[in-house]
Amino acid sequence: MVTLRSIVLLGLAALLAVAGAGCGQTDDAPDTIRLVAWKFNNPGLWRRLANRFEQAHPPLKVALEIGPHSSTAYHDLLSQKLKNRSSEVDVFLMDVVWPPEFASAGWALPLDQVMGPERQKIFIPAALQAATWQGQVYAAPLYLNAGVLYYRRDLLEAHGLPVPQTWPQLVSQAKQITARQKSGLAGYSGQFKQYEGLVCNMLELVWAAGGHVLGPQGKRCLLGEPPALKAVRFARDALIGGVAPRGVLAYQEPESLSLFAQGGAVFLRNWFYAWPILNDPQRSKVAGQVGLAPLPRFPDGQSASCLGGWLVGISAYSSKPDKALELVNFLTSEAAQRSLALEEGVAPARRALYQDPAVLKAHPHFARLLPILNQARTRPRTPLYPAVSQVMQGYFHRAISKTDSDLPALAEGAAQDVDRLLGLAGGN
Amino acid sequence: MAGLAPRRGERLLAWGLLLPCLAAVCAFAFWPIVYSFVLSLHRIVLSLPGLGEPFVGLENYAQLLGEPTARASAATTLIFVAVSTLLEVGLGTLMALALDKSFRGRGLVRAAVLVPWAIPTVVASQMWRFILNDRYGLLNWLVFGDQVGAYRAWLAEPGWALAAVIGADVWKTSAFAALIVLAGLQTIPRELNEAAALDGAGPWQRFRHLTLPLVLPALAVALVFRTMDAFRVFDLVFVMTQGGPADATNVLQFYGYKKMFAEGFLGYGSAVSVMVFVMVLAVSLIYLRLVGRRLLRGDAR
Repeated sequence: MVTLRSIVLLGLAALLAVAGAGCGQTDDAPDTIRLVAWKFNNPGLWRRLANRFEQAHPPLKVALEIGPHSSTAYHDLLSQKLKNRSSEVDVFLMDVVWPPEFASAGWALPLDQVMGPERQKIFIPAALQAATWQGQVYAAPLYLNAGVLYYRRDLLEAHGLPVPQTWPQLVSQAKQITARQKSGLAGYSGQFKQYEGLVCNMLELVWAAGGHVLGPQGKRCLLGEPPALKAVRFARDALIGGVAPRGVLAYQEPESLSLFAQGGAVFLRNWFYAWPILNDPQRSKVAGQVGLAPLPRFPDGQSASCLGGWLVGISAYSSKPDKALELVNFLTSEAAQRSLALEEGVAPARRALYQDPAVLKAHPHFARLLPILNQARTRPRTPLYPAVSQVMQGYFHRAISKTDSDLPALAEGAAQDVDRLLGLAGGN
Repeated sequence: MAGLAPRRGERLLAWGLLLPCLAAVCAFAFWPIVYSFVLSLHRIVLSLPGLGEPFVGLENYAQLLGEPTARASAATTLIFVAVSTLLEVGLGTLMALALDKSFRGRGLVRAAVLVPWAIPTVVASQMWRFILNDRYGLLNWLVFGDQVGAYRAWLAEPGWALAAVIGADVWKTSAFAALIVLAGLQTIPRELNEAAALDGAGPWQRFRHLTLPLVLPALAVALVFRTMDAFRVFDLVFVMTQGGPADATNVLQFYGYKKMFAEGFLGYGSAVSVMVFVMVLAVSLIYLRLVGRRLLRGDAR
């Protein structure tokens, strides 16, 4: 016979079980380092690296949590954990745009003591700059990415054209080639959907025109200034309204890449990661016919790539920062970065590896990536970068998706929004 | 009737069974709502702990009302709710009327109609993204065939993108409205229809004067459910457009999500969700006053 008491107790027990599940069980074993990573293209990567670390550093163990693939979604997950001062994070992967935010929020531990001046020289300057906030280093660079121009070597050769050095040159070449080729061939492909990738594509144009997002000391937003306006107008009229299919307004990396890989475009702006894919005959119809070059500039400007990539940081709430540091040092060691380069084909953050014979033998194109990385630029550096990026995403997409958009007014509105955010952050 | 009054033990049992449930509802439904409201009265910026978490009263709401993006999001949300709800209940009613007839394979058709509703929204949204792709999408191929030059980038144009998100929602949830209306139709005794037919009423007359009044309560329920659900649209937008192009599909829920989780404005983001909550509540109350009380009781004449 079921008694009243047992029923009530059962109900309460069920409730407690539900409530308890939210708290999770923290496996706070002293030798376990918790690594929270984003989902790499090749998902086994983090476990393989962790295994090697465990072999080299007994009795330390690595507990791995893999978040979403998208940087934005992974940011949501990681910042939730850190906001709650979760003990489930010791070491985490950090996108190159996060250190100001993570440092300002007090989530990332300063690493300057272990990243002294002589160690800093080891890394590509832009990557180190990305890891630094207000004179302190908050992360060690792991591997990098930057925007590059992929072009159809065969098509340029067939038309007797050189690799374009400037954006207007690229547009006129694209027009010349598409006019004489089968219909359906697009001139240009890139990432222009309203998301973070749009900011990278647009900033590369703004920088190439001599513009900036923020003025000196990050004080004032300069998106309404003539060089930035010129770049946005070019994107609207010459790229989106000209040689690129309108569909690019909804493209992220995979869509833009597949258009080019299917032989549907003359030029493609994408990250380093596209090179091995474009040259794999299984995945690309244009394998062996692709060239890689720095992004074009404007006649009176300089080529500039947007820096992407990942850094490794330590949580300020870690109960074992010393052990966490061992993992950070291992992940960013020369040996680990060499194997990352050799096995995964990603571009290391250590400069020396670009002269490494084994790496160059496996990936001859790395020699061409170093100068591009040396000219790569970081996106605006502020603790409110995610909010600044949202403003820019909305502005850029509005500006380029309507042919009759009132650019100066839109830019002024966006600049005011950014200025307001900078004011909130104290104009750092 | 005194004999039917519950004995003390039974009353205790009732409370014993209810309490855990009540506690759970308070902990997981009421408290988050109250807490969101409390948060919305503070300025909380995750990446700027130096600012503290000052109480700012209704400042977040004032900012929300003055922000052009927020106002545009509210307008987009209302368009989405109105259009998708009307289409879903309308289409759902047509589907229900068809399914109410007996024909060979009716069971199969009923199950098939429910398939879109059963597919997880994230999967369905991804599927629509492929269908609407400008180069390889099915829709362009169906509309334009080999005229590759005429292919449209549906998700890249503000008007079409909103239409696409609404279309995906209608495709997905009309079956749910149909299910509710069908349940209402099945409670109508067959004899009524047969008697009306014998009296010489044509199909339209029978629908207008017999079926429609009797199925109105079910229609009202479908309308309420769909409206409240439409206000909460999120996953479709998240997968299909991320709020773009040019913020054309940036519904309030997604706007608030971005403010809160991507940008770390906890107070402001909470104000957005409280606004959505208030809107849903207001709409539900209006429904209840206008149609609900009379119809839900079932004396719809």
